[in-house]
Amino acid sequence: MIMLDKMAYSSGLRYISPCVKAFTAVTTLLLCVTAHSAVISLITLAVMGGLTVYKGGACPLYYIRLYRIPLLFLVLSTFTIVVSISKEPLSEVALPLFRYYLTFKGDAFYFAGNLILTALGAVSCLYFLSLTTPVTDLLYVLDILHCPGILVELLLLVYRFIFVLYDMAAAITVSQKSRLGNKDFKTSLHAMSGMLVMLLIRALKKSNLLYDAMESRCYNGKILVLRESARASRKEIVMAAAFEAVMLGICLLLRRIS
Amino acid sequence: MSILKTENITYVYEDGTKALNNVSLTIEKGEKTALLGANGSGKSTFFLCLNGILKPQRGRILFKDQPVDYSRKGLLELRSKVGIVFQDPDNQLFSASVYQEISFGLMNLGASEQEAVKRVEAVMEELEILPFRHKPTHLLSGGQKKQVALADILVMEPEIVILDEPVSALDPKHTEMLNDKLIRLPDKGITVIIATHDMDYALEWADKVVLFRNGEVFAEGRAEDIFMNGELLKRTNLIQPDVIKLFSDLCAQGIIDGNLPVPRNFKTLEKYITDSVRSRSNG
Repeated sequence: MIMLDKMAYSSGLRYISPCVKAFTAVTTLLLCVTAHSAVISLITLAVMGGLTVYKGGACPLYYIRLYRIPLLFLVLSTFTIVVSISKEPLSEVALPLFRYYLTFKGDAFYFAGNLILTALGAVSCLYFLSLTTPVTDLLYVLDILHCPGILVELLLLVYRFIFVLYDMAAAITVSQKSRLGNKDFKTSLHAMSGMLVMLLIRALKKSNLLYDAMESRCYNGKILVLRESARASRKEIVMAAAFEAVMLGICLLLRRIS
Repeated sequence: MSILKTENITYVYEDGTKALNNVSLTIEKGEKTALLGANGSGKSTFFLCLNGILKPQRGRILFKDQPVDYSRKGLLELRSKVGIVFQDPDNQLFSASVYQEISFGLMNLGASEQEAVKRVEAVMEELEILPFRHKPTHLLSGGQKKQVALADILVMEPEIVILDEPVSALDPKHTEMLNDKLIRLPDKGITVIIATHDMDYALEWADKVVLFRNGEVFAEGRAEDIFMNGELLKRTNLIQPDVIKLFSDLCAQGIIDGNLPVPRNFKTLEKYITDSVRSRSNG
Protein backbone atom coordinates (compact mmCIF):
# COMPACT_ATOMS: atom_id res chain seq x y z
CA MET A 1 0.00 0.00 0.00
CA ILE A 2 2.85 2.37 0.87
CA MET A 3 4.44 1.38 -2.44
CA LEU A 4 1.24 2.19 -4.36
CA ASP A 5 1.20 5.60 -2.72
CA LYS A 6 4.81 6.31 -3.65
CA MET A 7 4.23 5.26 -7.24
CA ALA A 8 1.27 7.62 -7.55
CA TYR A 9 3.49 10.56 -6.56
CA SER A 10 6.22 9.67 -9.04
CA SER A 11 3.88 8.74 -11.89
CA GLY A 12 4.40 10.40 -15.24
CA LEU A 13 0.68 11.07 -15.39
CA ARG A 14 0.58 12.73 -11.99
CA TYR A 15 0.16 16.26 -13.31
CA ILE A 16 -2.69 15.39 -15.64
CA SER A 17 -5.90 16.81 -14.23
CA PRO A 18 -7.28 14.37 -11.63
CA CYS A 19 -10.81 15.06 -12.88
CA VAL A 20 -9.91 13.76 -16.33
CA LYS A 21 -8.20 10.70 -14.87
CA ALA A 22 -11.08 9.94 -12.52
CA PHE A 23 -13.60 10.41 -15.34
CA THR A 24 -11.65 8.06 -17.62
CA ALA A 25 -11.19 5.41 -14.96
CA VAL A 26 -14.79 5.43 -13.72
CA THR A 27 -16.44 5.56 -17.15
CA THR A 28 -14.23 2.81 -18.55
CA LEU A 29 -14.93 0.72 -15.47
CA LEU A 30 -18.69 1.13 -15.90
CA LEU A 31 -18.50 0.29 -19.60
CA CYS A 32 -16.34 -2.73 -18.92
CA VAL A 33 -18.67 -4.08 -16.26
CA THR A 34 -21.92 -3.43 -18.12
CA ALA A 35 -20.68 -4.72 -21.48
CA HIS A 36 -19.48 -7.95 -19.92
CA SER A 37 -17.67 -8.94 -23.09
CA ALA A 38 -14.22 -10.44 -23.46
CA VAL A 39 -13.28 -8.01 -26.25
CA ILE A 40 -14.12 -4.91 -24.21
CA SER A 41 -12.37 -6.34 -21.14
CA LEU A 42 -9.21 -7.06 -23.12
CA ILE A 43 -9.21 -3.58 -24.65
CA THR A 44 -9.69 -2.07 -21.19
CA LEU A 45 -6.87 -4.14 -19.73
CA ALA A 46 -4.54 -3.24 -22.60
CA VAL A 47 -5.32 0.49 -22.60
CA MET A 48 -5.29 0.94 -18.82
CA GLY A 49 -2.20 -1.22 -18.42
CA GLY A 50 -0.46 0.62 -21.26
CA LEU A 51 -1.30 4.02 -19.81
CA THR A 52 -0.16 3.05 -16.31
CA VAL A 53 3.07 1.39 -17.38
CA TYR A 54 4.20 3.33 -20.47
CA LYS A 55 2.80 6.78 -19.80
CA GLY A 56 2.85 6.54 -16.02
CA GLY A 57 6.23 4.84 -15.81
CA ALA A 58 5.15 2.16 -13.34
CA CYS A 59 7.55 -0.81 -13.19
CA PRO A 60 5.96 -3.47 -15.49
CA LEU A 61 6.97 -6.38 -13.29
CA TYR A 62 5.54 -4.75 -10.19
CA TYR A 63 2.40 -3.84 -12.10
CA ILE A 64 1.84 -7.44 -13.22
CA ARG A 65 2.47 -8.68 -9.69
CA LEU A 66 -0.28 -6.39 -8.45
CA TYR A 67 -2.79 -8.61 -10.26
CA ARG A 68 -1.78 -11.70 -8.33
CA ILE A 69 -4.09 -11.16 -5.38
CA PRO A 70 -7.26 -10.28 -7.32
CA LEU A 71 -6.48 -13.12 -9.74
CA LEU A 72 -6.19 -15.60 -6.90
CA PHE A 73 -9.59 -14.58 -5.55
CA LEU A 74 -11.15 -14.69 -9.00
CA VAL A 75 -9.82 -18.16 -9.80
CA LEU A 76 -10.97 -19.50 -6.47
CA SER A 77 -14.45 -18.07 -6.79
CA THR A 78 -15.00 -19.01 -10.45
CA PHE A 79 -13.89 -22.55 -9.65
CA THR A 80 -17.29 -23.13 -8.08
CA ILE A 81 -19.02 -21.94 -11.25
CA VAL A 82 -17.13 -24.31 -13.50
CA VAL A 83 -17.18 -27.35 -11.28
CA SER A 84 -20.31 -28.87 -9.85
CA ILE A 85 -21.07 -32.06 -8.02
CA SER A 86 -24.01 -34.21 -8.97
CA LYS A 87 -25.23 -37.77 -8.77
CA GLU A 88 -25.55 -38.12 -12.54
CA PRO A 89 -22.73 -37.53 -15.04
CA LEU A 90 -24.39 -34.44 -16.56
CA SER A 91 -21.68 -33.23 -18.91
CA GLU A 92 -19.32 -34.84 -21.40
CA VAL A 93 -16.45 -34.57 -18.86
CA ALA A 94 -17.27 -36.10 -15.50
CA LEU A 95 -14.92 -37.46 -12.90
CA PRO A 96 -16.36 -40.15 -10.69
CA LEU A 97 -15.86 -39.38 -7.01
CA PHE A 98 -17.21 -42.08 -4.71
CA ARG A 99 -20.95 -42.06 -5.48
CA TYR A 100 -20.96 -38.61 -7.06
CA TYR A 101 -19.52 -37.03 -10.17
CA LEU A 102 -17.40 -33.90 -10.53
CA THR A 103 -18.80 -32.36 -13.67
CA PHE A 104 -17.34 -29.56 -15.85
CA LYS A 105 -19.64 -27.67 -18.11
CA GLY A 106 -18.17 -26.47 -21.38
CA ASP A 107 -20.06 -23.19 -21.58
CA ALA A 108 -19.28 -22.56 -17.93
CA PHE A 109 -15.60 -22.32 -18.88
CA TYR A 110 -16.39 -19.54 -21.30
CA PHE A 111 -18.60 -17.85 -18.75
CA ALA A 112 -15.95 -18.06 -16.03
CA GLY A 113 -13.23 -16.80 -18.35
CA ASN A 114 -15.38 -13.87 -19.33
CA LEU A 115 -16.09 -13.10 -15.70
CA ILE A 116 -12.42 -13.14 -14.79
CA LEU A 117 -11.54 -10.86 -17.70
CA THR A 118 -14.32 -8.42 -16.84
CA ALA A 119 -13.21 -8.27 -13.23
CA LEU A 120 -9.56 -7.80 -14.21
CA GLY A 121 -10.59 -5.05 -16.61
CA ALA A 122 -12.40 -3.29 -13.78
CA VAL A 123 -9.39 -3.75 -11.51
CA SER A 124 -7.09 -2.30 -14.16
CA CYS A 125 -9.21 0.89 -14.19
CA LEU A 126 -8.84 1.23 -10.45
CA TYR A 127 -5.11 0.51 -10.60
CA PHE A 128 -4.79 3.16 -13.27
CA LEU A 129 -6.42 5.70 -10.98
CA SER A 130 -4.53 4.71 -7.84
CA LEU A 131 -1.14 4.46 -9.54
CA THR A 132 -1.34 7.82 -11.29
CA THR A 133 -3.34 9.99 -8.88
CA PRO A 134 -2.19 10.84 -5.35
CA VAL A 135 -4.87 10.76 -2.67
CA THR A 136 -4.68 14.53 -2.20
CA ASP A 137 -5.75 14.93 -5.83
CA LEU A 138 -8.58 12.45 -5.40
CA LEU A 139 -9.82 14.51 -2.47
CA TYR A 140 -9.89 17.48 -4.81
CA VAL A 141 -12.14 15.50 -7.16
CA LEU A 142 -14.44 14.55 -4.29
CA ASP A 143 -14.61 18.22 -3.36
CA ILE A 144 -15.61 19.19 -6.88
CA LEU A 145 -18.28 16.49 -6.85
CA HIS A 146 -19.69 18.15 -3.71
CA CYS A 147 -18.93 15.22 -1.50
CA PRO A 148 -19.93 16.10 2.12
CA GLY A 149 -17.20 18.23 3.71
CA ILE A 150 -16.97 16.09 6.83
CA LEU A 151 -16.12 13.05 4.70
CA VAL A 152 -13.40 14.83 2.76
CA GLU A 153 -11.92 16.26 5.97
CA LEU A 154 -11.92 12.83 7.58
CA LEU A 155 -10.22 11.29 4.56
CA LEU A 156 -7.63 14.06 4.61
CA LEU A 157 -6.76 13.47 8.27
CA VAL A 158 -6.92 9.68 8.04
CA TYR A 159 -4.65 9.64 5.01
CA ARG A 160 -2.08 11.87 6.69
CA PHE A 161 -2.07 9.88 9.92
CA ILE A 162 -1.87 6.46 8.32
CA PHE A 163 1.74 7.34 7.62
CA VAL A 164 2.48 8.92 10.97
CA LEU A 165 1.10 5.89 12.82
CA TYR A 166 2.68 3.45 10.40
CA ASP A 167 6.10 5.00 11.04
CA MET A 168 5.47 4.86 14.76
CA ALA A 169 4.46 1.19 14.61
CA ALA A 170 7.49 0.37 12.49
CA ALA A 171 9.82 2.14 14.95
CA ILE A 172 8.32 0.32 17.94
CA THR A 173 8.57 -3.04 16.15
CA VAL A 174 12.20 -2.48 15.26
CA SER A 175 13.09 -1.54 18.81
CA GLN A 176 11.27 -4.62 20.08
CA LYS A 177 13.08 -6.87 17.63
CA SER A 178 16.43 -5.41 18.64
CA ARG A 179 15.65 -6.54 22.18
CA LEU A 180 14.70 -10.08 21.07
CA GLY A 181 11.00 -9.25 21.30
CA ASN A 182 10.17 -11.89 18.73
CA LYS A 183 12.44 -14.77 19.70
CA ASP A 184 9.54 -17.22 19.75
CA PHE A 185 5.84 -17.24 19.06
CA LYS A 186 4.82 -16.37 22.60
CA THR A 187 7.13 -13.37 22.94
CA SER A 188 6.16 -12.06 19.52
CA LEU A 189 2.48 -12.17 20.49
CA HIS A 190 3.33 -10.35 23.69
CA ALA A 191 5.42 -7.76 21.82
CA MET A 192 2.67 -7.26 19.26
CA SER A 193 0.04 -6.60 21.92
CA GLY A 194 2.36 -4.14 23.64
CA MET A 195 2.96 -2.36 20.36
CA LEU A 196 -0.77 -2.05 19.64
CA VAL A 197 -1.52 -0.66 23.08
CA MET A 198 1.28 1.87 22.73
CA LEU A 199 0.04 2.83 19.30
CA LEU A 200 -3.47 3.47 20.61
CA ILE A 201 -2.21 5.60 23.49
CA ARG A 202 0.07 7.61 21.26
CA ALA A 203 -2.62 8.05 18.63
CA LEU A 204 -4.94 9.53 21.26
CA LYS A 205 -2.16 11.78 22.54
CA LYS A 206 -1.24 12.86 19.04
CA SER A 207 -4.81 13.74 18.21
CA ASN A 208 -4.87 16.10 21.19
CA LEU A 209 -1.59 17.71 20.20
CA LEU A 210 -2.73 18.07 16.61
CA TYR A 211 -5.96 19.70 17.72
CA ASP A 212 -3.97 22.21 19.78
CA ALA A 213 -1.72 22.93 16.83
CA MET A 214 -4.70 23.43 14.53
CA GLU A 215 -6.46 25.64 17.06
CA SER A 216 -3.37 27.78 17.37
CA ARG A 217 -3.74 28.45 13.66
CA CYS A 218 -7.29 29.71 14.13
CA TYR A 219 -9.06 26.43 13.31
CA ASN A 220 -12.76 27.08 13.59
CA GLY A 221 -14.40 23.72 13.08
CA LYS A 222 -13.95 23.52 9.35
CA ILE A 223 -10.75 22.63 7.55
CA LEU A 224 -10.33 25.43 5.05
CA VAL A 225 -7.46 24.95 2.63
CA LEU A 226 -6.50 26.04 -0.84
CA ARG A 227 -7.01 23.27 -3.34
CA GLU A 228 -4.26 23.08 -5.86
CA SER A 229 -4.60 20.80 -8.81
CA ALA A 230 -3.56 20.51 -12.43
CA ARG A 231 -6.12 22.07 -14.74
CA ALA A 232 -7.59 19.95 -17.48
CA SER A 233 -6.21 20.96 -20.86
CA ARG A 234 -8.54 20.86 -23.85
CA LYS A 235 -6.41 18.15 -25.41
CA GLU A 236 -6.81 15.85 -22.39
CA ILE A 237 -10.56 16.36 -22.27
CA VAL A 238 -10.93 15.66 -25.98
CA MET A 239 -8.73 12.56 -25.78
CA ALA A 240 -10.58 11.14 -22.79
CA ALA A 241 -13.98 11.83 -24.35
CA ALA A 242 -12.89 10.34 -27.70
CA PHE A 243 -11.61 7.19 -25.99
CA GLU A 244 -14.85 6.71 -24.08
CA ALA A 245 -16.88 7.33 -27.23
CA VAL A 246 -14.90 4.68 -29.12
CA MET A 247 -15.34 2.22 -26.24
CA LEU A 248 -19.07 2.93 -26.16
CA GLY A 249 -19.22 2.43 -29.95
CA ILE A 250 -17.50 -0.96 -29.70
CA CYS A 251 -19.88 -1.97 -26.90
CA LEU A 252 -22.94 -1.11 -29.01
CA LEU A 253 -21.47 -2.83 -32.06
CA LEU A 254 -20.78 -6.02 -30.13
CA ARG A 255 -24.30 -6.02 -28.74
CA ARG A 256 -25.78 -5.69 -32.21
CA ILE A 257 -23.67 -8.57 -33.56
CA SER A 258 -24.70 -10.89 -30.77
CA MET B 1 6.03 49.28 24.56
CA SER B 2 5.61 45.73 25.73
CA ILE B 3 3.90 43.60 23.11
CA LEU B 4 3.16 40.65 25.35
CA LYS B 5 3.08 40.49 29.09
CA THR B 6 2.10 37.84 31.58
CA GLU B 7 1.15 38.76 35.13
CA ASN B 8 1.47 36.04 37.76
CA ILE B 9 0.00 33.31 35.59
CA THR B 10 -0.48 29.89 37.14
CA TYR B 11 -1.54 26.82 35.23
CA VAL B 12 -2.39 23.49 36.85
CA TYR B 13 -3.20 20.45 34.70
CA GLU B 14 -6.24 18.33 35.48
CA ASP B 15 -4.07 15.66 37.08
CA GLY B 16 -2.75 18.23 39.57
CA THR B 17 0.62 18.94 37.96
CA LYS B 18 1.51 22.55 38.49
CA ALA B 19 3.06 23.40 35.14
CA LEU B 20 3.30 27.16 35.66
CA ASN B 21 3.58 28.96 38.97
CA ASN B 22 3.26 32.72 39.19
CA VAL B 23 5.01 33.46 35.93
CA SER B 24 5.44 37.15 35.17
CA LEU B 25 7.30 38.04 32.05
CA THR B 26 7.40 41.01 29.71
CA ILE B 27 8.27 40.67 26.05
CA GLU B 28 9.25 43.91 24.36
CA LYS B 29 8.44 44.50 20.72
CA GLY B 30 11.25 43.36 18.45
CA GLU B 31 13.18 41.82 21.31
CA LYS B 32 14.77 38.42 20.76
CA THR B 33 13.95 36.24 23.73
CA ALA B 34 15.38 32.80 24.44
CA LEU B 35 13.67 30.53 26.95
CA LEU B 36 15.95 28.00 28.57
CA GLY B 37 15.11 25.27 30.99
CA ALA B 38 15.29 21.54 31.49
CA ASN B 39 12.67 19.26 29.95
CA GLY B 40 9.38 19.56 31.78
CA SER B 41 10.15 22.98 33.22
CA GLY B 42 6.95 24.48 31.81
CA LYS B 43 8.14 26.10 28.60
CA SER B 44 5.65 24.38 26.33
CA THR B 45 2.73 25.05 28.67
CA PHE B 46 3.79 28.68 28.81
CA PHE B 47 3.68 28.87 25.01
CA LEU B 48 0.22 27.35 24.86
CA CYS B 49 -0.93 30.00 27.32
CA LEU B 50 0.53 32.84 25.24
CA ASN B 51 -1.51 31.65 22.28
CA GLY B 52 -4.74 31.20 24.22
CA ILE B 53 -4.87 27.42 23.79
CA LEU B 54 -4.63 27.07 27.56
CA LYS B 55 -6.23 29.55 29.90
CA PRO B 56 -4.27 30.10 33.09
CA GLN B 57 -6.30 29.57 36.25
CA ARG B 58 -4.76 32.60 37.87
CA GLY B 59 -3.10 35.75 36.60
CA ARG B 60 -3.62 37.42 33.26
CA ILE B 61 -1.98 37.90 29.90
CA LEU B 62 -1.79 41.27 28.18
CA PHE B 63 -1.33 41.61 24.46
CA LYS B 64 -0.32 45.18 23.61
CA ASP B 65 -1.42 46.23 27.11
CA GLN B 66 -4.92 44.82 26.57
CA PRO B 67 -5.97 41.79 28.64
CA VAL B 68 -6.61 38.77 26.43
CA ASP B 69 -10.27 38.33 25.60
CA TYR B 70 -11.12 34.62 25.82
CA SER B 71 -14.24 34.84 23.67
CA ARG B 72 -14.13 33.02 20.33
CA LYS B 73 -13.50 36.26 18.48
CA GLY B 74 -10.87 37.47 20.90
CA LEU B 75 -8.98 34.18 20.70
CA LEU B 76 -8.96 34.21 16.90
CA GLU B 77 -7.60 37.75 17.06
CA LEU B 78 -4.85 36.71 19.48
CA ARG B 79 -3.93 33.58 17.51
CA SER B 80 -3.68 35.51 14.29
CA LYS B 81 -1.05 37.70 15.96
CA VAL B 82 0.83 35.08 17.99
CA GLY B 83 1.97 32.01 16.06
CA ILE B 84 3.56 28.86 17.48
CA VAL B 85 5.86 26.55 15.53
CA PHE B 86 5.58 23.27 17.40
CA GLN B 87 8.54 21.10 18.23
CA ASP B 88 7.43 17.96 16.41
CA PRO B 89 6.18 18.80 12.91
CA ASP B 90 4.27 15.51 12.84
CA ASN B 91 1.98 16.99 15.46
CA GLN B 92 1.47 20.12 13.43
CA LEU B 93 1.22 19.08 9.79
CA PHE B 94 -2.28 17.69 9.26
CA SER B 95 -2.39 17.51 5.49
CA ALA B 96 -0.46 15.31 3.08
CA SER B 97 -0.18 18.22 0.68
CA VAL B 98 2.42 20.90 1.41
CA TYR B 99 0.40 23.53 -0.37
CA GLN B 100 -2.83 22.81 1.51
CA GLU B 101 -0.95 22.63 4.75
CA ILE B 102 0.56 26.09 4.38
CA SER B 103 -2.68 27.66 3.22
CA PHE B 104 -4.66 26.44 6.25
CA GLY B 105 -3.98 29.28 8.70
CA LEU B 106 -4.37 31.89 6.02
CA MET B 107 -7.75 30.57 4.88
CA ASN B 108 -8.89 30.49 8.50
CA LEU B 109 -8.09 34.20 8.70
CA GLY B 110 -10.53 34.69 5.87
CA ALA B 111 -8.06 35.64 3.16
CA SER B 112 -9.46 35.65 -0.36
CA GLU B 113 -8.33 32.84 -2.61
CA GLN B 114 -6.25 35.16 -4.81
CA GLU B 115 -4.54 36.74 -1.87
CA ALA B 116 -3.92 33.33 -0.27
CA VAL B 117 -2.35 31.88 -3.42
CA LYS B 118 -0.03 34.86 -3.64
CA ARG B 119 1.09 34.68 -0.04
CA VAL B 120 1.52 30.90 0.00
CA GLU B 121 3.68 31.07 -3.12
CA ALA B 122 5.75 33.90 -1.62
CA VAL B 123 6.40 32.12 1.65
CA MET B 124 7.30 28.88 -0.15
CA GLU B 125 9.86 30.75 -2.20
CA GLU B 126 11.27 32.56 0.81
CA LEU B 127 11.70 29.40 2.87
CA GLU B 128 13.08 27.36 -0.05
CA ILE B 129 10.14 24.97 -0.09
CA LEU B 130 9.56 25.14 -3.86
CA PRO B 131 11.88 22.20 -4.73
CA PHE B 132 9.69 19.79 -2.77
CA ARG B 133 6.31 21.50 -2.89
CA HIS B 134 4.72 18.62 -4.81
CA LYS B 135 5.95 15.94 -2.43
CA PRO B 136 3.52 14.59 0.16
CA THR B 137 4.39 15.57 3.73
CA HIS B 138 5.01 11.94 4.74
CA LEU B 139 7.87 11.67 2.24
CA LEU B 140 9.65 14.82 3.46
CA SER B 141 12.79 14.71 5.60
CA GLY B 142 12.71 16.03 9.16
CA GLY B 143 14.32 19.30 8.09
CA GLN B 144 11.90 19.81 5.24
CA LYS B 145 8.95 19.19 7.55
CA LYS B 146 10.35 21.86 9.86
CA GLN B 147 10.55 24.31 6.96
CA VAL B 148 6.90 23.65 6.17
CA ALA B 149 5.97 24.02 9.85
CA LEU B 150 7.63 27.43 9.91
CA ALA B 151 5.94 28.42 6.65
CA ASP B 152 2.58 27.43 8.19
CA ILE B 153 3.01 30.21 10.71
CA LEU B 154 4.89 32.86 8.73
CA VAL B 155 2.26 32.86 6.00
CA MET B 156 -0.20 34.21 8.57
CA GLU B 157 2.13 37.21 9.09
CA PRO B 158 1.95 37.18 12.88
CA GLU B 159 3.53 39.85 15.07
CA ILE B 160 5.03 37.30 17.42
CA VAL B 161 6.49 33.96 16.40
CA ILE B 162 7.14 31.37 19.08
CA LEU B 163 9.44 28.47 18.21
CA ASP B 164 9.65 25.40 20.39
CA GLU B 165 13.15 23.98 19.89
CA PRO B 166 13.31 24.83 16.20
CA VAL B 167 16.55 23.06 15.36
CA SER B 168 16.30 19.99 17.58
CA ALA B 169 17.08 16.77 15.68
CA LEU B 170 18.07 18.56 12.48
CA ASP B 171 21.20 17.91 10.45
CA PRO B 172 23.83 20.70 10.34
CA LYS B 173 22.81 21.86 6.88
CA HIS B 174 19.16 22.31 7.80
CA THR B 175 20.11 23.82 11.15
CA GLU B 176 22.17 26.46 9.41
CA MET B 177 19.48 27.17 6.85
CA LEU B 178 16.73 27.46 9.43
CA ASN B 179 18.87 29.65 11.69
CA ASP B 180 19.59 31.87 8.75
CA LYS B 181 15.84 32.36 8.21
CA LEU B 182 15.19 32.89 11.92
CA ILE B 183 17.86 35.55 12.22
CA ARG B 184 16.08 37.64 9.61
CA LEU B 185 12.65 37.54 11.24
CA PRO B 186 13.23 40.48 13.62
CA ASP B 187 14.20 42.65 10.64
CA LYS B 188 10.64 42.27 9.41
CA GLY B 189 9.32 43.58 12.69
CA ILE B 190 8.46 40.15 14.04
CA THR B 191 9.11 39.52 17.70
CA VAL B 192 10.65 36.08 18.13
CA ILE B 193 10.60 33.84 21.19
CA ILE B 194 12.61 30.63 21.06
CA ALA B 195 12.79 27.73 23.48
CA THR B 196 16.10 25.96 23.06
CA HIS B 197 18.66 23.71 24.71
CA ASP B 198 21.44 25.09 22.56
CA MET B 199 23.38 27.44 24.84
CA ASP B 200 25.77 28.69 22.18
CA TYR B 201 22.89 29.55 19.95
CA ALA B 202 21.01 31.37 22.69
CA LEU B 203 24.12 33.39 23.59
CA GLU B 204 24.77 34.48 20.05
CA TRP B 205 21.20 35.19 19.07
CA ALA B 206 19.20 36.35 22.06
CA ASP B 207 18.84 39.82 23.55
CA LYS B 208 17.14 38.46 26.61
CA VAL B 209 17.44 35.07 28.25
CA VAL B 210 14.81 33.64 30.59
CA LEU B 211 15.57 30.61 32.74
CA PHE B 212 12.63 28.37 33.60
CA ARG B 213 12.74 25.98 36.52
CA ASN B 214 9.85 23.90 37.86
CA GLY B 215 7.28 26.13 36.24
CA GLU B 216 8.76 29.35 37.54
CA VAL B 217 10.88 32.07 36.04
CA PHE B 218 14.12 31.42 37.86
CA ALA B 219 16.10 34.24 36.33
CA GLU B 220 15.94 36.64 33.44
CA GLY B 221 18.31 39.17 32.03
CA ARG B 222 20.71 40.06 29.24
CA ALA B 223 22.19 36.97 27.60
CA GLU B 224 25.77 37.90 28.62
CA ASP B 225 24.85 38.44 32.26
CA ILE B 226 22.92 35.19 32.62
CA PHE B 227 25.55 33.08 30.95
CA MET B 228 28.45 34.55 32.93
CA ASN B 229 26.72 33.33 36.08
CA GLY B 230 27.78 29.69 36.17
CA GLU B 231 26.22 29.05 39.56
CA LEU B 232 22.80 30.15 38.35
CA LEU B 233 22.96 27.92 35.31
CA LYS B 234 23.99 24.92 37.33
CA ARG B 235 20.94 25.26 39.53
CA THR B 236 18.70 25.05 36.44
CA ASN B 237 20.51 21.94 35.16
CA LEU B 238 22.12 23.91 32.35
CA ILE B 239 25.75 24.42 31.45
CA GLN B 240 27.66 27.50 30.37
CA PRO B 241 28.23 27.99 26.64
CA ASP B 242 31.72 26.95 25.51
CA VAL B 243 32.58 30.50 24.45
CA ILE B 244 31.87 31.80 27.94
CA LYS B 245 33.82 28.99 29.62
CA LEU B 246 36.88 29.66 27.49
CA PHE B 247 36.53 33.42 27.91
CA SER B 248 36.37 33.16 31.71
CA ASP B 249 39.37 30.82 31.81
CA LEU B 250 41.44 33.07 29.59
CA CYS B 251 40.52 36.11 31.69
CA ALA B 252 41.39 34.26 34.90
CA GLN B 253 44.77 33.35 33.50
CA GLY B 254 45.34 36.93 32.43
CA ILE B 255 45.71 36.05 28.77
CA ILE B 256 43.00 38.47 27.74
CA ASP B 257 41.68 41.58 29.40
CA GLY B 258 38.79 40.81 31.75
CA ASN B 259 37.22 44.21 31.14
CA LEU B 260 36.38 43.42 27.55
CA PRO B 261 32.67 43.01 26.78
CA VAL B 262 31.53 39.38 26.96
CA PRO B 263 31.98 37.71 23.56
CA ARG B 264 28.79 36.24 22.10
CA ASN B 265 30.43 33.90 19.64
CA PHE B 266 33.76 32.26 18.91
CA LYS B 267 34.58 34.78 16.22
CA THR B 268 34.65 37.65 18.72
CA LEU B 269 36.63 35.58 21.20
CA GLU B 270 39.13 34.68 18.50
CA LYS B 271 39.57 38.35 17.74
CA TYR B 272 40.23 39.11 21.42
CA ILE B 273 42.90 36.41 21.52
CA THR B 274 44.66 37.45 18.34
CA ASP B 275 44.57 41.10 19.41
CA SER B 276 46.03 40.21 22.76
CA VAL B 277 48.75 38.02 21.24
CA ARG B 278 49.62 40.71 18.70
CA SER B 279 49.84 43.49 21.28
CA ARG B 280 52.14 41.31 23.38
CA SER B 281 54.48 40.45 20.56
CA ASN B 282 54.55 44.13 19.56
CA GLY B 283 55.11 45.27 23.11
